[in-house]
Amino acid sequence: MKEISDLNLPDDVKYTKDHEWAKLDSDIVTIGINDYAQDQLGEIVFVELPEVGDTFSEGDEFGSVESVKAVSEMYIPISGEIVGINEALEDAPELVNESCYDNGWIIKVKPDDVAQLDNLMDKPAYLDMLKG
Amino acid sequence: MPQRLNRTKRSAVFIDLGLLEYKRALDLQLKTLKSKIDLTITEDRILFVEHPSVFTLGKRGGEKNLGVSKKFLSLKKIDLVQTNRGGNITYHGPGQAVMYPIIDLEKNKIGIKDFVHGLEEIMKRTALNFNIDADRNQKNHGIWVDNSKIGSVGISIKRGISFHGLAMNINPDLEPFSWIKPCGLNDISITSIEKEIKKFDTNNYDIAMGRIKDAFIKHFSSVFDYSIKN
Repeated sequence: MKEISDLNLPDDVKYTKDHEWAKLDSDIVTIGINDYAQDQLGEIVFVELPEVGDTFSEGDEFGSVESVKAVSEMYIPISGEIVGINEALEDAPELVNESCYDNGWIIKVKPDDVAQLDNLMDKPAYLDMLKG
Repeated sequence: MPQRLNRTKRSAVFIDLGLLEYKRALDLQLKTLKSKIDLTITEDRILFVEHPSVFTLGKRGGEKNLGVSKKFLSLKKIDLVQTNRGGNITYHGPGQAVMYPIIDLEKNKIGIKDFVHGLEEIMKRTALNFNIDADRNQKNHGIWVDNSKIGSVGISIKRGISFHGLAMNINPDLEPFSWIKPCGLNDISITSIEKEIKKFDTNNYDIAMGRIKDAFIKHFSSVFDYSIKN
């Protein structure tokens, strides 16, 4: 596994305790798993995605990632409706390993209450959690 | 002279369930998992079990790798159970040692790929206890003796806690494996500790499950740095 100091953790996204990231662009939140998660999962072979139009409450399981021989659930950090899924992951799940913040994004959510994002961690707080 | 205590922070309770039906063991895993998520149980638990004959499917299925009809299975009184673990179709039956570690990987800072690797290591070392040289294979995860698979891994993680686990063939009837493409792979064969031992020793061995259990406890403890209460 990577050392904490080697992790790629951009400053312009928010982090969850489940090692996901969320980024607000206009009124849509894009969500994926972060570098720590993709590194400790290993080679991802399948991403189970929700459907556009599905609605979730904060903390719900919205899908899973399967790395070799291991299925891990993913949890949504904000309540809302799925307005986009990264269909490229169906044929190329390895994008999550290769580019977790860009081409490996997982879902786009129209949030019920954008203020819920304030509950997430910024990079320094997330790093503190990892070190703790 | 004062000694520095070598304390390990990780600890688990090991529970031997004996022979237990797959679905009942799965219920127990899920209950234990829920109690750990709710924090009703704080300790990690490791379940050790043998199952009556059963085929199980991974989260993404594997039914197409079942080479016999469901009618045939019902005649043989063998269930087919859908699960949410990683991996493809597999068989469990008496004589196979199964271990389900319900471990807080997040709290213990154990990475998922390291965990899978460690479960394989436990089986590799157990085989070595019987002078069998088993190892990983490029074909697939799990543990192999040359091109024959002797042990499999398939886990799930919920809220950072693992469930499902590993299965190692000790002395099961290997015929049911011929009814499937194990793990979805072509052209592989399945072996067991007993089958490998018989290649160089024709005495009739009775490999007691207790010996496997002791080996699993010892190797789990050293591979993952756990103190284990039996």
